[in-house]
Amino acid sequence: MRGRNASRRASAILETALWVPLLVSLLFATVELARVSYTYYTLHKILYTVASYLSTQPGVNFCDDADATIDAAKNLALFGGIDADANQPIIQGLAADQITVRVERFDAESDSLAECECSETGCDINTGGIAPNYIVVAIPDGFQIRLALPGINNDPIPLRPRIRMPYGGG
Amino acid sequence: MDPVAIRNPSSNGFRNGAPRTRLTRGRAGSMSLQLVVILVPVIFGFLGFAIDLGRLYMIRGELKTAADAMALAAAARLNGTDESTTAAATAAEVARAEFEGISNRYDYGGTQVGDAEGNQTSTVEEPEFFDTVSAATGEGDDGGGGGSAGGAEARHARVAVTAQARTLFFRFLPQAQEGIAAIRVQSVAGMSAPLCVACGIEGIVIAAVDSGDTENFGLTTDTRYTLGYACNGANQPQPLAGTTQRLPYVILNKLNEEAESFADETTQAYRIGANGLPPSTNDAISCVRVTSDEPEIVWATAAPIQCAAQGQPMRVPGLVGNYLCGMATRFETGVFAGCDTIPEVDAATGALLPDTNVDDLDEYAGYTGNNRRIITVAIAENLDDVNAIPIIGFRQFLLEPLPNNTNLSPTDGNGRFVALYIGSPAPVKQGRVSGCTIESGPGKVVLHQ
Repeated sequence: MRGRNASRRASAILETALWVPLLVSLLFATVELARVSYTYYTLHKILYTVASYLSTQPGVNFCDDADATIDAAKNLALFGGIDADANQPIIQGLAADQITVRVERFDAESDSLAECECSETGCDINTGGIAPNYIVVAIPDGFQIRLALPGINNDPIPLRPRIRMPYGGG
Repeated sequence: MDPVAIRNPSSNGFRNGAPRTRLTRGRAGSMSLQLVVILVPVIFGFLGFAIDLGRLYMIRGELKTAADAMALAAAARLNGTDESTTAAATAAEVARAEFEGISNRYDYGGTQVGDAEGNQTSTVEEPEFFDTVSAATGEGDDGGGGGSAGGAEARHARVAVTAQARTLFFRFLPQAQEGIAAIRVQSVAGMSAPLCVACGIEGIVIAAVDSGDTENFGLTTDTRYTLGYACNGANQPQPLAGTTQRLPYVILNKLNEEAESFADETTQAYRIGANGLPPSTNDAISCVRVTSDEPEIVWATAAPIQCAAQGQPMRVPGLVGNYLCGMATRFETGVFAGCDTIPEVDAATGALLPDTNVDDLDEYAGYTGNNRRIITVAIAENLDDVNAIPIIGFRQFLLEPLPNNTNLSPTDGNGRFVALYIGSPAPVKQGRVSGCTIESGPGKVVLHQ
């Protein structure tokens, strides 16, 4: 009698030992996928904030790496305020210099958009150029995220959302 | 009564009223297996829901970004002409399309918006145009269904995108037949309320013909006027041929004394004439305000002088000629002959292209250009004191070639040029709607929905 009970317990423990790791792995995988998804969504939202802020600001010199309005836009998106130390970063590990802003000009002859040069005939407003027609905000090198799955050594996944917005800042 | 049922289970080999057999002993050992068989599909189902719903939500956000860009691009081209809706639809398509490998995409940036082929498809509906915000957003009496407007009246653009998103786990719900969920987003962009602060405009001011007329300030739409530089005393210059009357104007003081480039004031005046007030983070330089608290003042070296008799070569301050030199670039490429003495004039002109339509037009609705000929001027109650000019609104004109069928001439001794009054149909580059209580005037492009 005691032997049969012990056998049943052993059988249950064995089955549990077989299934629990699978369930836990599924749970881990789901949580990790959700983390990637959430991170991508947050990055997309950050870039949208930069793009929509910049596209309505007058006097932005996109050819000046130190332009105060561009810095303010990035800080607003990354920290929730135009000062870099206003709040905790919305996403850890993303620095302002990872976000780039490309300027584009519409060519009526070819009906296409092309990158606008930083020159007096292009988009450098400090040397005689005029404002671009579009801006593209992106993370060219990607935001690296690694899936933390137990027992699996994954390469980091680069997330590269990108936003194109018409520039209306004049 | 069954005699077996009343036996004591603890003493007769029965357990829980059932006889213990080899079969029941086996089942008792498999309870965790049964649990797993039931739980795994349930857990899989919930995990699938979570993954699919998250992805659909993500796709929705990405599509909305694309729709916003298209609506904003389209609305910027709605300038009140017959062709404006065609130009707006083209602009929306440019905002959607991929150039140099870049576009607004969806599904983690993997799918082009508007792709009709492939594993996952989406469609961009033809943009619709409306004269009021309520019609465009569907909040009006007609529910947005019957308010579509033609080019001359259209002020707002509505863009809708629908994606057929493939789902992984969501297939058995009625909303996602065959594993496809339809996600539709809509964006509405258009003209804002009338601006109290207008930025990037042409930096000149005229006096209202009738300041009591809040709609047009006494001006008549599609009527040619001569805009001539203000001067004092008798001998007021005559209007140019073919125009109704002369409207005196002055150049507002928008000199940027701290400018690092184009520091010379004549070059600055040229740039303003060529492309409007320069973009700046300083409103006082790049904008004109409707306010009684801080009235605008005339550019110091362009203060009106005494009107002179006909026959004298230049009867306005020299800066006016520089301003008109810039304005001439709206008609033709390069620097107008005689304007090349302006410092850095080539650099100040290099990026500027003339209008694509320089025809002499009797009706603004027929204009098909790129807005270079549209100027936005401030309206003052009067120009009695040019050192305290009370701005009461903004209105727009279309620059016209001169009566002898030549382009605008900076050499006119009275600083005159011909302009067709058009009201306020075109969006201004930038500005703010707060700070005054005006009922009409040009707005800027904003996202309504």
